[in-house]
Amino acid sequence: MTQRFSCTTCLSADKPLERFVADLPMETSFHRVETQEVKCEFGLQGCCCRLCANGPCRITPDSPKGICGADADTLVARNFLRAVAAGSGCYIHVVENAARALKDIAKEKGALKGLKALDRLCAKLEVSGSDIYEKAEKAADAVLADLYRPVFEKMELTKKLAYAPRYEKWEALGLLPGGAKSEVFAGTVKSSTNLNSDPVDMLLHCLRLGISTGLYGLMMTNMLNDIIQGEPEIRFASVGMRVIDPDYINIMITGHQHALFAHLQNRLTDDDIVKQAQAVGAKGFKLVGCTCVGQDLQLRAAHAVGLFDGHAGNNFTSEAILATGAIDAVLTEFNCTLPGIEPICDALKIKQICLDTIAKKANAQTMQYGFESRESDANSIISDIIEAYKVRRNDVPLNLLPEHGNDNTLTGLSEVTLKSFLGETWQPLIELIATGKIKGLAAVVGCSNLVSGGHDVLTVELTKELIAKDILVLTAGCSSGGIENCGLMTPEAAELAGPSLKAVCQSLGIPPVLNFGPCLAIGRLELIAVEIAEALGVDLPQLPLVLSAPQWLEEQALADGAFALALGLPLHLGLPPFVTGSPIAVQVLCEDMKQLTGGHVMINGDAAESAVLMEEIIMQKRKDLNLA
Amino acid sequence: MKRIMIETEKCKGCKNCAIACMKAHMPDGVPFSLTDTRLEARNVILLDKDKQYRPLFCRHCDNPSCIKSCMSGAMTKDSATGHVYYDPKQCAGCFMCVMSCPFGVLKPDRATKTTVIKCDFCKDHGSEPSCVKQCINQAIHVEEV
Repeated sequence: MTQRFSCTTCLSADKPLERFVADLPMETSFHRVETQEVKCEFGLQGCCCRLCANGPCRITPDSPKGICGADADTLVARNFLRAVAAGSGCYIHVVENAARALKDIAKEKGALKGLKALDRLCAKLEVSGSDIYEKAEKAADAVLADLYRPVFEKMELTKKLAYAPRYEKWEALGLLPGGAKSEVFAGTVKSSTNLNSDPVDMLLHCLRLGISTGLYGLMMTNMLNDIIQGEPEIRFASVGMRVIDPDYINIMITGHQHALFAHLQNRLTDDDIVKQAQAVGAKGFKLVGCTCVGQDLQLRAAHAVGLFDGHAGNNFTSEAILATGAIDAVLTEFNCTLPGIEPICDALKIKQICLDTIAKKANAQTMQYGFESRESDANSIISDIIEAYKVRRNDVPLNLLPEHGNDNTLTGLSEVTLKSFLGETWQPLIELIATGKIKGLAAVVGCSNLVSGGHDVLTVELTKELIAKDILVLTAGCSSGGIENCGLMTPEAAELAGPSLKAVCQSLGIPPVLNFGPCLAIGRLELIAVEIAEALGVDLPQLPLVLSAPQWLEEQALADGAFALALGLPLHLGLPPFVTGSPIAVQVLCEDMKQLTGGHVMINGDAAESAVLMEEIIMQKRKDLNLA
Repeated sequence: MKRIMIETEKCKGCKNCAIACMKAHMPDGVPFSLTDTRLEARNVILLDKDKQYRPLFCRHCDNPSCIKSCMSGAMTKDSATGHVYYDPKQCAGCFMCVMSCPFGVLKPDRATKTTVIKCDFCKDHGSEPSCVKQCINQAIHVEEV
């Protein structure tokens, strides 16, 4: 019997996972929650400034200003803008790499798996060409040209990507972004020492970053990845740690850049590679999904048949997945790759390879993705992983959890597949909403964290509350990974829905929570909202649609949140984003934003109360649309 | 006689008091580090059931349970100041003081688990508690009792 590392693990909505982690002999994030329980109030409220050598300055009643004279409003807005800029930078890095990958593949006339997606993108961008490769290259060039524009030159595709009423609103408010990378640069400069002190200007800059993040970092990344890796297809799938098959050489991928391993993914099922795996006693290779890129693989699993085994879990499930002992290598291409996996990988002899130095792990090998070297890189990565498998498999005991997760989670939803499921029109969904069978839509998006009641606790409880109120839930992000492992994306979960949503789900054979996959899919949800709004002839803030990032974790989530506010949507957060120390920031985000864009932030850590707040908003919007 | 008084509602959980205590009680030859387990604070901030900060400091009790439970004479009360002092040379390491402290503020040392970590009211620093000096929220102060 192995000894537990400690008995102080945090709770999880996913009880089998909670018990599995509690019994582990190694330390995980779940174990560290208690030792980090006492948080500094200055940090929590955004009122600590260490931008200069006079700091850290902290705001108290006796010291209401930093040495430089900056007050709480300036401190908070600077800290918030820095975080949003960094979060935006993350997504812009992802879309830049996706566009570069598409351009490289197109130039070489390589495999493009999503030609309909290419046609749709080219139609949207008004790009034409003599063949698919010319079209793909031109589309990628148009995206890259926008990303690289200076801050004083507006991005050209914004108008083509945005919903017209929103574009006009943004134009009127002076929120149209310059080059996406330059906007991140400007946000970083603006929030540096003794520069901008205007909290409202900095909060408006966050909205600008939200627009470039949402339209390019989210929406465009999906479009590019769909062209390269194929489009989502609706299907039922196995989820959770049950998907791990120890008879294979298992590779867990973490990150957000599906485009970066297109070649490697294709190579892993080639005959010569499968034979190499068989020569060392494995049946072949499998990719085990984890974090958002796992959700991306899950959406596009139809294009990785025989290779992708399923999504095992979200960001804070990664340590547990590795602790099964059945993972032979971790390929890292971006966040959310916890530093906590590193000692586990060392202890269990799991090979770590980084495909992007942006996400370089301290004890990992770097194999920076490059299109020219993709073939030799893929071969080298594969042979390193085979070596790891040979060394570790006889040595490391397995600790599997085959009862974790379920076999009938509905996946593969996208703006295209859902519309197709409804008969190539949004009318059936609009009818269901109009007649009140579905009260409204709630997008439960973003990350998982461990401090909103525990791992996925608020997310899952809030989702249950919402569906019980006949509100259809759509998910994108690590929230998807948590909710699916808790079984809410199976048709049987209809039992947990309110009577009319339950009837809808049962007649269609669908769950009350629809899984759109990774956080990038917030861009897909935006497209759906736009198409529904278009069909109704209204602007986005008028829709009976609310957003929640109940367990937001990262700076990227804050950039997503800024996008939601720019879209004019009500945004619920389980924890405040380190802004409560500033009366102006709270006023602008929670109240004044309603007059600016139509959106606003509401913060509540209680699932039942939050669901009531969200329902009230939906009911008000229904009333304003003259719906019963 | 002086005691540290706590105004819980003023605490913001910044842990300045803990760092001040660590700095005031550095073992010889050990440089200050936030990762060296040999450095420990004699105070702690916990969260209560309502998630409110609960800073805990040694009360230097009038009838100290730690002294009553100490069989080796390592715990003594100074008759002039009323402060309870701990002498590691006298300590047998039974940790009955840790078990009996009603405030849960005593603990075995993290690095060797042979001695007790106990507030000495900064007697080597003029009996002016470093934690009090470093609290930027005035959540703790010294009062004559």
